[in-house]
Amino acid sequence: MIEFKDISTIYDDNFMALDGINLEIKDGEFVSLVGPSGAGKSTLMRLLTRELKPSHGEVFVDGINIADLSNRDTSFLRRKIGTIFQDFKLLAKMNASENVGYALEICGATPDEIAQDVPKLLSIVGLTDKAKNFPHQMSGGEKQRLALARALIHRPRIILADEPTGNLDMVNTYDVVKLLMKINEFGTTVILATHNREVVNAVGKRVISMEHGKIVRDQVEKGKYII
Amino acid sequence: MESFTATFRRIFHAGLTNFRRNSYLSFGTTGIMALVLLLFAGLMVLNYVSSQIVAGLESKVDVTVYFKQEASPDEIMSVKQDLENQSTVQQVSYISQDQALNDFKTKHAGDALIQQSLAELSDNPLQASLNIKAKDSAQYPNIVSFLEGNKFRPVVDKINFYENQAVIQRVEGIAGGLRNWGLLATLVLAAIAVLVTFNTIRLTIYNQKQEIEIMRLVGGSIWQIKAPYLIEGGLYGVFAATIATVVFYPTLWFVSSKAAVLLPGISLIGYFLTNILQFVAITLFAGIALGVVSSFVAIRRFLKV
Repeated sequence: MIEFKDISTIYDDNFMALDGINLEIKDGEFVSLVGPSGAGKSTLMRLLTRELKPSHGEVFVDGINIADLSNRDTSFLRRKIGTIFQDFKLLAKMNASENVGYALEICGATPDEIAQDVPKLLSIVGLTDKAKNFPHQMSGGEKQRLALARALIHRPRIILADEPTGNLDMVNTYDVVKLLMKINEFGTTVILATHNREVVNAVGKRVISMEHGKIVRDQVEKGKYII
Repeated sequence: MESFTATFRRIFHAGLTNFRRNSYLSFGTTGIMALVLLLFAGLMVLNYVSSQIVAGLESKVDVTVYFKQEASPDEIMSVKQDLENQSTVQQVSYISQDQALNDFKTKHAGDALIQQSLAELSDNPLQASLNIKAKDSAQYPNIVSFLEGNKFRPVVDKINFYENQAVIQRVEGIAGGLRNWGLLATLVLAAIAVLVTFNTIRLTIYNQKQEIEIMRLVGGSIWQIKAPYLIEGGLYGVFAATIATVVFYPTLWFVSSKAAVLLPGISLIGYFLTNILQFVAITLFAGIALGVVSSFVAIRRFLKV
């Protein structure tokens, strides 16, 4: 369970990114965050990974106020979360298999565990035959599927996807969204920030619309992209 | 979940990879650090040489008290007795006027001019003296002040310790000066090495911005992220210490043969080989400390987790 309580975030240049946000996300929900650029979607996600601390208010994950976490506990919090970005953030010097294994290695997995889990996940995202390819040898869709595999490898309970289809064509967008929905079906909470109307409407789950750092609409069921 | 050894192995491997990836930078950093360690090693040898010279001089030091012509043998014997009662005195030898003259004649037996001059003298111009050896060279000033306060001081003409003391002080002064300048040069070079290493680590951190971000996002702990940079810094130290030792041995071997001519009885290479374990340990420790401290400062400043 994720809970934002009266959250405000003001950046150093006095820009108010979030303004009095109150929001609850239950375990296993699929939430689409929509809104124009600068609405506060990414800031909300960065609060969850504790890259940012709120200027005011509290963020709870499983009942724990994450602002109070020590550095060590922040690492454990991040291991519960898988993150996907529009620009993929893949390691250029590592091949597909190594990129995925790297995330697992950081979490303390043994070489045997890595050798066992990585091919399974590459197969789930349809990249078995690209295991030895480097990111520059892959298409946009393949890179995003690889990023998805990396986000999933350590079995996170929450997936944060920040504009994951921003650089993809229709076919690849559909593939990635289908994968996210499949992951959600297995019980993982998915928070998807996007501008893509078709994606949000196709998912048809909870939709939260944001503007100027505020939640302007929260469609709990069968939501549509409305701004 | 992996064991501590596996974690350490992985962190060490990451540090080694950083070291290898920055080959040019690593080469420069290691070179500068090796120079610092070489200078430091030179300083250790200089310290040894100066202490040997001073010890050699100190062993040759004694105090000789020359008595005035009017001093009677009884008075001199009384002073001798007083000195022998001092716990700091090892030995006191009496040289009478006659013995001093005989010694002088024997020493200059081949010099006709001196022999002729002595023959023309009606009196013995040489003075009776007491030669004093202390148990410890540091005790000479106390012995001298004891003599200065003795009741027979009026029959004493001069005490020659002050001349020897000046030579020792001069040698100690030169050695101390060399040590201080050497230390200053080492410190300046060490500061440069710290700056160079610091900059190398800063560049590594900058080049790996994306890796660090991904490590943070997937939940890498602070030490999983930071420790490879400390290892990298330590590796610069290890390689620098190895280079310094490898370069230092032939250099010292070369210098040792030349120095043996100037400083008989002092073997630089012998000193190095006898203390090789200590020498390698100190150099290694200094190198690792330099590298790790520089890395620590760099990650504190530039690596926000």
